[in-house]
Amino acid sequence: MLKNKVKDNFVSYLLIFPASFFLILFIFSPIMYSIILSLQRYRLGFKNREFIGFKNYATLFNSPDFWDSLKITAVYTIFVVVISILLGLLLSILIFQRKKTGMIWQITFFLPVAATMAAMAIVWRFILDDNFGFLNNLLRFLGFAGMDWLRDTNTALGVVIMINIWANAGYAMVFFIAGLLNIPDELYQAAALDGSNRFQNFRYISWPLLSPSTLFITVIMTVRALTSFDTIKVMTNGGPTKSTQILSLLLYQEAFQFFNIGYASSIAVVYFILVLFLAIAQMKFDSRVYYQ
Amino acid sequence: MSKFNAWSILSTAFLFVLGSIVLFPFFLMVVTSFKDSHEIIVTGLNIFPRAPVLRNYFTVFSKTYIARYLLNGVIVVVFTLAGQLLVNIPAAYAFAKRKFPFKKTLFLCILAALVFPRYIASIPNFLLLSKFRLIDTYAALILPSVASPFCIFLMRQYILTIPEVFFEAARIEGCGIPRVILTILVPMIKPAVGSFTIFSIVSHWNDFFWPLIVINSQKMFTPPAGIVFFADAEGASDWGAVMAAALLTVAPLIVLFLANRKQFIASLTSTGLKG
Repeated sequence: MLKNKVKDNFVSYLLIFPASFFLILFIFSPIMYSIILSLQRYRLGFKNREFIGFKNYATLFNSPDFWDSLKITAVYTIFVVVISILLGLLLSILIFQRKKTGMIWQITFFLPVAATMAAMAIVWRFILDDNFGFLNNLLRFLGFAGMDWLRDTNTALGVVIMINIWANAGYAMVFFIAGLLNIPDELYQAAALDGSNRFQNFRYISWPLLSPSTLFITVIMTVRALTSFDTIKVMTNGGPTKSTQILSLLLYQEAFQFFNIGYASSIAVVYFILVLFLAIAQMKFDSRVYYQ
Repeated sequence: MSKFNAWSILSTAFLFVLGSIVLFPFFLMVVTSFKDSHEIIVTGLNIFPRAPVLRNYFTVFSKTYIARYLLNGVIVVVFTLAGQLLVNIPAAYAFAKRKFPFKKTLFLCILAALVFPRYIASIPNFLLLSKFRLIDTYAALILPSVASPFCIFLMRQYILTIPEVFFEAARIEGCGIPRVILTILVPMIKPAVGSFTIFSIVSHWNDFFWPLIVINSQKMFTPPAGIVFFADAEGASDWGAVMAAALLTVAPLIVLFLANRKQFIASLTSTGLKG
């Protein structure tokens, strides 16, 4: 009997072994190792590698670049999340009851989510091109002056934010549509008997019943925005004069362009802690929404 | 009734305006890829090509390794997915249907791994792959994504819903574990496999960050890295060819999306954790 149980456990561990092996090799030990690296002076191609305690963190917290990047990340995240969600909500309300054309609208607004962002960022670069871009051509046609959108510190961050709203609003929309379809029709029918209008329906039925979805979507969108990289890397590469240098880009540049492994690891750890807070929140909402 | 009509007209008009803006980049990409360069480098508003040409596509295929990029993309997507299913389904089965010590703790670890953003592990993974001289290989693109906490989680949730009797019957008949997984489990979890397949294909075809780090030579680029490299090298001199390359990069997933609309949306929203 005991022997059977030992054998049984052995089989179970055998089943999870391959996955565990890869998980430990490429996810868990790297995270531990990042913490160790963050305590070292270590630059690829340089000989001296030594433990320096929290000096990397001290450098990081004294670096204006880091605080600027944090600020840019916050501005970027807040605008992308709030506007994507508002737009997604508005779209979902306009779309979810359309029986015949609903799917076509969903496809339209979800298309950017399915598209390769690095390639679409190139398309946007073309649209925003200083000389021959569509936007400047249109503005000039209408009698305005064109602008060098991506190379002007006044506009670059705003443009990047707009493009990420373009990429994310459809994502928020499909969550809201799912939420709206879960609300029983009887509620609206009862409200209609009481003479409730469209805005009252939204205010007193849809909005309160959507609130768990809204919380969940907010967290998801925040994690998405905080971890975005592709569009900014391709469109501005953090410029001009670092005005679009979000945290993921700062990490990328320190680690893989300057090969400041130790210092970059301290950024990674700080980044990790930031996202972890959100992740915990996400799991909380996740269970609340789906497993109630 | 008139109020209803006003609302309906207004909201439809709004959707048309916003929808056109959302689709415009795709539209412009398509028409520009068929334009001759002297029609692109202009300062007026001419949207449609006066005489559509295929030259940009010839340029892309002759001037870049686009065929190779696309092939690389397919190789990476296929082998990553195969590895993920092979490695994670047995684990998901164990977590769903078997009892063993530390099961709960181990599963919590996997849930935790679900939320770690990839940037955190990127530096050590890069160092590890360099140590084994795997930089610039398919292995560097594939191996780090083989273990997928999301795959384990998704499959486990699905396997939990399969009644015990199916597995009991197999056990009584003396089926070994590999046969149980292959002949009973896999056919029953097809919907979950389908959903994960879409998720995996989209994530890895679109991935730009990781190829940027572990690939140095042009011939090993996946499509997103390849198109960006081409656009940066070409500068603003040949937008037509750049748009053709962008179209070739984006098209496979768009076609997949249009062919499996509902499944596609369900799959990409089954997690918000797409990194």
